[in-house]
Amino acid sequence: MEKETAGKILTGSTILKYLIIHWKCETAEVSKGALLEGQLVISIEALNSKHQANTLHCVTTIASAGSIYGGLVLKKFLKEIQSILHGFSAKLNWTSEEASYSQDTSGVTPFQMIFEVDEKPKTLMTDCLIIKNFLHKIIIVLPKIRFNFSVKVNGIFSMEIFDAPKFGTTELLCSRIHPVLGHPVVLFIPDDVAGMGLLGELILTPAAALCPCPKVFSNQLNRISSISIFLYGPLGLPLILPSQEQPTAAIFKDTSYFIDWKKYHLCVVPNLDLNLDGDLVLPDVSYQVESSEGDQSQNMDPQGQTLLLFLFVDFHSRFPVQQMELWGVQTLLTTHLSAIFMESHSAVQDSIQITVGQVLEHHHQAVKAHQKLQASLSVAVNSIMSIMTGSTSSSFRKICLQTLQATDTQEFRTKLHKSFHETTQHRFLHHCSCEVKQQLLPERDDAEQSTEDAHENSSLELLAGTSGQVGNKRLKGSSLHQGVEETRAFRSAGALSPSEAARRRAEATVSPLTPSRSRTGPGSGLEDALWLQEVSNLSEWLSPGPRP
Amino acid sequence: MAFAPSGPEASFFEVLDQHRASLLATLRRGGGEPAGGGTRLASSSEVLASIENIIQDVITSLARNEAPAFTIDNRSSWENIKFEDSVGLHMISHCTTRKIKSDSPKSVKNFALILKILSTIYKLVQSNTYATKRDIYYTDSQLFGNQTVVDNIINDISCMLKVPRRSLHILSTSKGLIAGNLRYIEEDGTKVNCTCATAVPVSSNIQGIRNLITDAKFLLIVEKDATFQRLLDDNFCNKMSPCIMVTPTSVFYHLKLKGKGVPDLNTRLLVKKLWDTFHIPVFSLVDADPHGIEIMCIYKYGSMAMSFEAHNLTVPAIRWLGLLPSDIKRLNIPKSTLIPMTKRDQMKLDSILKRPYVTCQPFWRKEMEIMGDSKMKAEIQALTFLSSDYLSRVYLPNKLKFGGWI
Repeated sequence: MEKETAGKILTGSTILKYLIIHWKCETAEVSKGALLEGQLVISIEALNSKHQANTLHCVTTIASAGSIYGGLVLKKFLKEIQSILHGFSAKLNWTSEEASYSQDTSGVTPFQMIFEVDEKPKTLMTDCLIIKNFLHKIIIVLPKIRFNFSVKVNGIFSMEIFDAPKFGTTELLCSRIHPVLGHPVVLFIPDDVAGMGLLGELILTPAAALCPCPKVFSNQLNRISSISIFLYGPLGLPLILPSQEQPTAAIFKDTSYFIDWKKYHLCVVPNLDLNLDGDLVLPDVSYQVESSEGDQSQNMDPQGQTLLLFLFVDFHSRFPVQQMELWGVQTLLTTHLSAIFMESHSAVQDSIQITVGQVLEHHHQAVKAHQKLQASLSVAVNSIMSIMTGSTSSSFRKICLQTLQATDTQEFRTKLHKSFHETTQHRFLHHCSCEVKQQLLPERDDAEQSTEDAHENSSLELLAGTSGQVGNKRLKGSSLHQGVEETRAFRSAGALSPSEAARRRAEATVSPLTPSRSRTGPGSGLEDALWLQEVSNLSEWLSPGPRP
Repeated sequence: MAFAPSGPEASFFEVLDQHRASLLATLRRGGGEPAGGGTRLASSSEVLASIENIIQDVITSLARNEAPAFTIDNRSSWENIKFEDSVGLHMISHCTTRKIKSDSPKSVKNFALILKILSTIYKLVQSNTYATKRDIYYTDSQLFGNQTVVDNIINDISCMLKVPRRSLHILSTSKGLIAGNLRYIEEDGTKVNCTCATAVPVSSNIQGIRNLITDAKFLLIVEKDATFQRLLDDNFCNKMSPCIMVTPTSVFYHLKLKGKGVPDLNTRLLVKKLWDTFHIPVFSLVDADPHGIEIMCIYKYGSMAMSFEAHNLTVPAIRWLGLLPSDIKRLNIPKSTLIPMTKRDQMKLDSILKRPYVTCQPFWRKEMEIMGDSKMKAEIQALTFLSSDYLSRVYLPNKLKFGGWI
């Protein structure tokens, strides 16, 4: 790809990254620990260029809508963005008078920026796919930002809204993931990179999850069919763009560099067939899991589950971190990630291995539990069938058939099995870590209720708040090695006040990467709220602290 | 009654006869035998209908998209058990229950196993065949896991349907031994003549026994098989004729009773049947230790686990013949034959002392306190240190002649 074209491709996402860094810093200053929320509208209008053949003149507008904290100072913005996009020749126009620094206490500061580039149609198409994928990844960690992305090419209009990450098909009973957080490790910076003026340290925190939710994935034996790795830098910004020809992800070409998959009886190969064009989030690194011979005899689900591995690299410094420094870290990680990871290979490997191990152990337990359930239901169905078909009482048999609206015993068996499956699945869904406190479930007087059931309600509290600003805002991993079913507290000293921390610790939440939120109970509107809560804390966790 | 003439003179049994008269008088004052509660013998069609009703309930729940569940009485909870002097320990009418749910990961297997055993029972009853609990376990040992699971589920089903195990066509595996002056006809027509010289196994179908005939003056329940055999060898039954002697087969019942067992159901049913039919005095010969006392209490008052069937099993009229802790001192049994009580023994003793029925047995309480104070226990075999046949020649005859029971 030509340098100029490559630069143009990066423009949209670069500006978005800059905006997000800016907003995060501004948000943290105004309201400690608040989530970044608002709406960004990105529109590209392309018309055939009058000056060049087979070229589209693209006008890209990025505008805010809704409440966005902080304001952009135009001159500063232009200076900084041009230093980032060095050598880029597109035009940047600032059109909103409200773009000046707003003292409005409501914090509502709309703005709009427009820039123009000339691109080939195919390049524009690639641009759009890259931006879409970037937005997909952003909303995983910043779910309260809503992106409206529209493209109009010679009058043909299309629009997409990004406000919820898609990890799988929409037919799932539980569309949430339940990440397990790993232990943070300090990354050593190689000598040749250390000289780039980085006054702080890099911390890697892995998080792993299975998608879809294993406890609800029924009817088939769950198997891991693919592994997706997502790389994030400070403030939850994606590190790698798919089109970059970078050695950044070179280390991941060796599937066993950080994870010994054989320990989990997984045969993993790199998946090079990464297609930007899709509704699903495109991972930075993708592996395929090949079936072993022993698995083929079983009734395996061809689609299987995906192991998601999120690698968050954050930046900590004892000195106040400026926006541009954060930008520099982001750039550094984008270009030198491999080298940085290799420098701390052992620590990175341990942290990732343990995290993945926990998730796979949960998966194993979930498969066993599912098998146990299936076996039990099979016994129950066969026993009922034995009595029903063996009965000499025609009235009894008739009542049985009528109750399940079956015409014969064959149909009766099928409906019986289905009914058992549906009723138990519903209950197991409530046991799923995505559900609210156990108190909401009618299990109080059940002597069979065990502590295991209690633990099944995942209540992982993540009290986040990393910072590049002050030294005491340090990730404090505590008991991060517990499984999804147990309560974890991931507490930051500075992000939350003690009372807030205590409140969150007291509340049971099933959202592994979110701060505890009180739940209102099961209801139709709950799922959307739960989605936000599910990953919203990633942004809190990665938010910078207030400026001095 | 055409038994060979043997045994002591008639005057030997004077005290025994008085005791029997006293027991009968008590029964008459109490209005006869207490009304049967808890389980009752059910016909095959009743059992089949009950099982079908359960299945219908399960299917109805499923049709309503509700996870079906079984409601089972808490047999193992003291709060569900009351004591009545005439019955012993039995379940209260409105007892606490627990749910075995099909949609709980912990209980779904149990739920399925209950259905499995219900289907087995259904087939047995339908085909009028019988199986033991052991047979049922071996139909799918891998599925059940262990015998205790099967036993508990069968008891739960018996309690749930309010019918005795026999009505479910499930037989008790273990059998006791019986000897003495007794004859009867089994359900299948087999004639059983017990003798004084050798023992015959207790029938596995007590409820089917008919034409019971005896003129025994007493029934002696012997805790241990070794003691039973010793008495047989000493020709005790003949010397004390007419009498009946019975010993249960030990059944390991929970690991708490390591090395020893509780009385099997068939032996208990037989003792109960003999008492109900003939009202002959029943005595127990157990070791002077907490476990022996507990065995005796089970015969007399029943157990928590089987409290739902108390009316078919308990014989409150049983008296403690020996070995009494007070006999140890009275007979100058050598201290070297005594065994120090363990911590488990002490806990067991304390537990028995707290049971509701001990309050109406002051003499038993006193004996237990003697045992507790001495912190020593003794087996019946300790009497052999006085002489090898002391038990059958001296101890038991004197006890029976002079009313040495409590």
